[in-house]
Amino acid sequence: MTDTIVKLRLNQQQLELMDRTIAQGVAADRIALVRLALREYAAAHKGDAAKGGAR
Amino acid sequence: MTSRQVISEFVMEPGTGKAIELLKGQILRIEQVEGGQCADFNCFNLHDYKEFMHCGRTRTVHGFHPTTGTFMWSAPPRERAMLYILEDTVGRNDVLFPRCSAYVYEAAYGFAVHTNCHDIQAEAQREYGLTPDDVHDSFNLFMCTGVDEDGHAFMTRQTTRKGDYVDLLALMDVLAVPNVCGADVMKTSNFALKPLKLTVFAATDADLASVPRTPTLASQRTPKDFKNPAIKSDRPLRRDPAYKPEFPNTPIVVTELPIALTPEELAMFKAVKRTDIYGDDDAAALRDLLFSWWEERFLQAHAGAPSIESK
Ligand SMILES: [Zn+2]
Repeated sequence: MTDTIVKLRLNQQQLELMDRTIAQGVAADRIALVRLALREYAAAHKGDAAKGGAR
Repeated sequence: MTSRQVISEFVMEPGTGKAIELLKGQILRIEQVEGGQCADFNCFNLHDYKEFMHCGRTRTVHGFHPTTGTFMWSAPPRERAMLYILEDTVGRNDVLFPRCSAYVYEAAYGFAVHTNCHDIQAEAQREYGLTPDDVHDSFNLFMCTGVDEDGHAFMTRQTTRKGDYVDLLALMDVLAVPNVCGADVMKTSNFALKPLKLTVFAATDADLASVPRTPTLASQRTPKDFKNPAIKSDRPLRRDPAYKPEFPNTPIVVTELPIALTPEELAMFKAVKRTDIYGDDDAAALRDLLFSWWEERFLQAHAGAPSIESK
């Protein structure tokens, strides 16, 4: 099985918010932050689709 | 508990309003004389009338019915807490409806002249040199409103009684302008115009200590921070030939950040991605996920609403 590349498109303000979040020690770098977001968001919302869509 | 010292008292008769200089640390009590009367309310920085209360910000921070423990905020770029609702014996105020105006009474009821909050406000504000164009969106005290299922604001009768009141504590020197709402052919004030009593008190130390702290931020700008600090003094709008746009953070530049999702991560993503909004644009769906996660994890306030927590 191979990895799937998703090319996020982020502007400088969105990157700034990511970098300030990283600077708090939440994740090691931008890629790690996105992976963390995906894991946590998926865990928190995995039941949403059955309930008629995530919010 | 030490009692408050009364500084002044005034009764607003039906059809009238009153501009009151309310200094920092003073309390304006707006009180039902008979009960059942709506008061519209405007508020300006006493030393700079261009800073005035902004119902939009107030309703975003505090909801549609702000009551005890909430603030009245000034408009951007000032965005300061002007007044604090120290006490509210009813708990039903409105920041959805605009002030009633002559147009309403002419168009819907056929009145050539009728008491209305806009004109009453303008007449009260004239005492301080303000014009009818300076009347701003009103905070409506004691007004009982809500939102229909179809998204329309509605008003209904109020249940206030003689002696009910709202206490507004000034956090800066303001010109506070309450008026007796002029609506006697609507439910707003239960189909009758009644007086309202105004009392100005000096706040006690306990009153002042009860106010939550709000942030002081660089974004709360005043004329010293403006590129054009002078108030425009004529009416027509003319282009400034020397104008060069200086929009902050422009140009907005988009950077690509490729993420390699493992099959396991891809499955997680597929389970929650918003295809209903983004279709097969996985890049947009993943960006949505990233910032939706950020909101849930880090945002203190409701999304889009300013945080008023002081660090
Ligand atoms: Zn009115």
